[in-house]
Amino acid sequence: MKRRSFLKSGLAILGSATFLSFAYPLLRFLSPLKGRVNAEKLVIRKSEVVSGSARNIVLNNKPVMVIHRPGKGFIALSRVCTHLGCLVSYHRAEQKIICPCHAAAFSLEGKVLSGPAPKPLERIPLKVEAERIVIG
Amino acid sequence: MFERTRQWLESRIGLKDIVDTHLRGFRIPGESNYLSTLGAVAFAGFLVQVLTGIFLLMYYVPHPDHAFSSLQVIDNRVPYGWLFRSIHVVGSNVILVVLFLHLLVVFYRGSYKRPREMTWLSGGLMFFFIFLFSVTGYLLSWNQVSYWSTTIITTIPTFLPVLGEYVSDFLRGGEFVSGATLGRFFAFHVAILPFIFIIFSVIHIFLVWRTGFAPDPRVATGMSGGAGEGFRRESYESSIPYYPDFLVKELFMAMVYLAVVFFIITFFPKLFQPALASVQADPQLTPEVIRPPWYFLAPYGMLKLIPNKFLGISLQLILFVVFLFWPFFDGREERNILKRPILRGTFVLAVILWIVLTLWGRYS
Repeated sequence: MKRRSFLKSGLAILGSATFLSFAYPLLRFLSPLKGRVNAEKLVIRKSEVVSGSARNIVLNNKPVMVIHRPGKGFIALSRVCTHLGCLVSYHRAEQKIICPCHAAAFSLEGKVLSGPAPKPLERIPLKVEAERIVIG
Repeated sequence: MFERTRQWLESRIGLKDIVDTHLRGFRIPGESNYLSTLGAVAFAGFLVQVLTGIFLLMYYVPHPDHAFSSLQVIDNRVPYGWLFRSIHVVGSNVILVVLFLHLLVVFYRGSYKRPREMTWLSGGLMFFFIFLFSVTGYLLSWNQVSYWSTTIITTIPTFLPVLGEYVSDFLRGGEFVSGATLGRFFAFHVAILPFIFIIFSVIHIFLVWRTGFAPDPRVATGMSGGAGEGFRRESYESSIPYYPDFLVKELFMAMVYLAVVFFIITFFPKLFQPALASVQADPQLTPEVIRPPWYFLAPYGMLKLIPNKFLGISLQLILFVVFLFWPFFDGREERNILKRPILRGTFVLAVILWIVLTLWGRYS
């Protein structure tokens, strides 16, 4: 093998190996840290959410609302609209959850009532223990 | 597939003509060796710094409350974050070694002489900008070493009369090193300096391309383009095409550069990070021993040796100006340093002095 061919082949092999050994770490480096966040629970007092009202909280970086439905108890729903990701809000007078971006409307159980949302709002586990509400 | 892409480009932009004219047609001296590749290696090192710097920007937070912890997140939580940060830190030091060697080779070969004075000047300024990259990047890690080194460096201008205090406050964005300093150093490091450096790189590469590589002084002893002559590209007794002959050498040396960086990361990961670099900056507590990074030890040692600080700073400024405009001071036609005993002696003395001052700065 000629010296130049040897250098060329060596460079091609070394170059490819270098590229690959950078490509994989880079892909991992750029991957979101999701899943590495500790799945924490959040505790609030029952008295903080009176009947017919809702409270916005942040659970593991996710915006969540806890609603006290009259006669039906507490429920926790993700505030992220299933249409295009805007944050929905609770409308007490209409007893609905409405997205301000494209007017998707959801029931207090998170089901789609009208508008472009393709799926119900994500339901977050919630447990009522005496005077406390454990979310997550 | 490759052939079809090549033909597609060929029919539209005349790829072969570009390669033949500007790469194969660009002749360089036949005696060019691996030492002639150091400029290209430094440029490859700069590109590695740019890439890793962009990756680090995705997680780094330039705020005194978060800078140090965001780097800890990069080191410990982000997958392979330690790798990209290590490449950036080690690379910033190895690139300086390459530049020092490049400078020595260019000086030793007399490659700065007419018609290449502007090439030297632009290269000298790029060298200075690389130092500015180091100074501004050093603070970003917001640890005890970087904080107090920056305090020392930004205090140095106060030795100058009249404007000294103002310059110091201007650099810091206030009386002390603070969040304002971090903000402006960050802006300089990631936006202003890269912009300036790329402009100078283009100028430097253009000048190298336009005037051609300087031949070995043992082959061609005199300067080309004598008084009254118009511009002409350097011609050589024996030459090789830049592509593929020399480009392969440059790529090989770029791989050697990466190999050195990885060797240091693997076997000496803390070589450029003293123990205090893992302690968050505390503006209320100056460490007992604080030294600048190795490349500043010589000027630091010189300042320690000269009792009058104004004199020390002035001397360093004068030396820098002489270095930058050296081609205009050295007007003699003889390029072979071996035939110029005084210049050769000065050159050797300067290198020894630099090493002694560095050791003095380190161990005194």
